Amino acid sequence: MEFAWSPEDLAFREDLRAFIEAELPADWEEISKGGPGSDAQAAFSRRFCAKLAEKGWLTQHWPVEFGGQGASPWRHAIVGEEMWSRGEPRGQQYMAVNWVGPTILQYGTEAQKERHLPLISSGNGMWCQGFSEPEAGSDLASLRTLAVRDGEDYVVNGSKIWTSYVAHADYCFLVVRTDPASDGRRGISVLLCPVDLPGIELREIPAVIGDRYFHEVFFRDVRVPATSRLGPEHEGWAVVTYALSYERVGAARYARAALALDQLAEEAKRRGSLGDPAIQERFGRALAAVEAARLLTYKVIDVRAHGQPPTADTSLARVAQTDAERSVANLGMEIYGADALAYGSWAEVYFRMVMWSGVAVGTTEVNLNLVASRMLGLPRE
Amino acid sequence: MDFEWSEDQREIVGAVEQLLAEHAGPARAIALDAEDAYDHELEQALDEAGFLDVALAEETGFLEAALVVEAVARAAGVASIGASAIVAPGLLGERAEGPVALARVEDAAVVPIAAHARTLLVDAGDEARRIPLASGDAEPVRSGFMIPVARPRMELTGGESLGPGSGARLRRYWQLALAAEASGLMAGALDVTVEYVKQRRQFKRPIGSFQAIQHRLAICQAGVQSVHWLMLEAAAWDAADERAALAATRAATVAQQVFIETHQMTGAMGFTREHDLHVWSMRLQPLIAACGGPAAHPRAAAQARWGV
Ligand SMILES: Cc1cc2nc3c(=O)[nH]c(=O)nc-3n(C[C@H](O)[C@H](O)[C@H](O)COP(=O)(O)OP(=O)(O)OC[C@H]3O[C@@H](n4cnc5c(N)ncnc54)[C@H](O)[C@@H]3O)c2cc1C
Repeated sequence: MEFAWSPEDLAFREDLRAFIEAELPADWEEISKGGPGSDAQAAFSRRFCAKLAEKGWLTQHWPVEFGGQGASPWRHAIVGEEMWSRGEPRGQQYMAVNWVGPTILQYGTEAQKERHLPLISSGNGMWCQGFSEPEAGSDLASLRTLAVRDGEDYVVNGSKIWTSYVAHADYCFLVVRTDPASDGRRGISVLLCPVDLPGIELREIPAVIGDRYFHEVFFRDVRVPATSRLGPEHEGWAVVTYALSYERVGAARYARAALALDQLAEEAKRRGSLGDPAIQERFGRALAAVEAARLLTYKVIDVRAHGQPPTADTSLARVAQTDAERSVANLGMEIYGADALAYGSWAEVYFRMVMWSGVAVGTTEVNLNLVASRMLGLPRE
Repeated sequence: MDFEWSEDQREIVGAVEQLLAEHAGPARAIALDAEDAYDHELEQALDEAGFLDVALAEETGFLEAALVVEAVARAAGVASIGASAIVAPGLLGERAEGPVALARVEDAAVVPIAAHARTLLVDAGDEARRIPLASGDAEPVRSGFMIPVARPRMELTGGESLGPGSGARLRRYWQLALAAEASGLMAGALDVTVEYVKQRRQFKRPIGSFQAIQHRLAICQAGVQSVHWLMLEAAAWDAADERAALAATRAATVAQQVFIETHQMTGAMGFTREHDLHVWSMRLQPLIAACGGPAAHPRAAAQARWGV
């Protein structure tokens, strides 16, 4: 057991910080308030990711032959922490490097690997996630978007919803039903689908959490080459769960929460409220929640670093991350008081960024279900 | 970073568990409680096998000591191992004559294991004090919390001062020790509860299949795991900075929750002396009250982190 970073890891973190410092523009804070889906941040992220890739830091945890350095998952975790604590300058690219790439590595054909992995590892492939549908939320396996085999193609009809960042994406990690007679987990397949194919239409859904988070994506007779199917036909559910196990804790939300809490403590000092023992208690509790989320996430990375298959620790970590974010966001609203009501105020921005944490990427309840059945072995009905 | 036990750690925990299989366990805790007794035999066995020395030994440290303390609590050992294996070495840089009791000047009225201890370490604010105890120095008080408690017959401001600033050092190691004990006790309480809800059937199904039960147990599991890792990390860092306070913050809060939920889910059976739950759950309360109580730890953490 070792709870310290190696000198090499510490040195890497320093280099990375210096790089980020040098690359972020003076108005970065303003840009990042728009979120990864905003035009300004998306444009910046493309440039930034290309530079990060040049340094070899975008996908260093990938195998060498696919644009990585075979580095340990801990290295990638350090990148995640530093990025998330600076407003995630990689933008939506974090999805591609965190879970799309690893899932293609696991299930892709040689041709798929050769096509997609270099694109991602050079910072050029932007992805979005086509999982949810109007009638398929937590019960993802009830999805109905249909892909019918026709010669060399699948013909896709249906719609996806909540699709974040699709407006700036090149590809969609699209989950479809390939066996029309099936329902549930069997009969599902995954398609690596370009988003500019004829028949795909987008509609942005306005939302209180910010712009470009939510879209509806309509598929009308969209022809997707059968060669873009990832994994076996009808047996795509395993691919989906593999991807989700990477996604659930792929984002270093605790790192953003830790930085936010430090900033908030400075603000509370300025306002003269940090001397109040009751406020100190709230800060201490929020810090404990953040540190708990960090360690539970480290547990997941550790499992990965030891080459073991994903466990329900992922769900535990996700629940803890949500808890940490809520503690910090609520405290922020409390410390800022009425000042928090102004759009763009520090407390408002953080609050808006994290208010959906318990719903996206599988809800808290779904994660608790997974802990109950897989970790505690509790019986189903 | 590496969350897997080293070969040595595996060996230490394996050895202490082997010892505990013989010298601890729920049945023994229940028997001892009936006589309001302290498990001197267990403490001696741990001492003779060297488990109380691991914090200061060359090849091991507080991380290994924390693993030992957690294992003893997990086995419901009725001994104040956190005080002798973590707090005394951390505070004094050497072992103290055991058993070791811990107290605060503010809470001098009732002190766990004081009637059985040979050393009393006292949090007197800025400084810590060491008071040697002889039998008869504390008057046993009846308690329902599965650990003997007593009323010291002397002022806690006596004894030897351990110097300016030693109070903070005592509190940090105390917070670490209580988190380690709580981690083991909560794991024990949660395990028997999970087992119970799998077996117990109502409405023609195991009560553990009700989602209202499942989610609350899953939340407890997240809490217990977080205490486990926060505590081990604090131990690995010799209780430096705010780490021990954060482990204790989490330990006290989660302990309150685990106490309520495990007793709720085991129904009337869980309140009996015939079911084992109480050998772990009841002992959470003295830990929740320890070292200033649940509000003191987060305040200490905030003060250490942001210098207020
Ligand atoms: C900011 C944001 C971004 C998103 N981005 C994407 C994206 O890019 N691509 C994509 O595909 N999806 C995306 N989603 C969708 C997300 O995956 C779903 O919102 C999520 O899976 C929940 O589905 P739902 O919203 O339909 O809620 P529902 O499934 O309808 O759930 C509503 C409530 O019921 C509870 N519930 C449901 N089933 C159970 C059960 N079995 N037991 C107990 N409680 C239950 C839920 O936990 C929740 O509290 C995004 C969501 C958000 C908030």
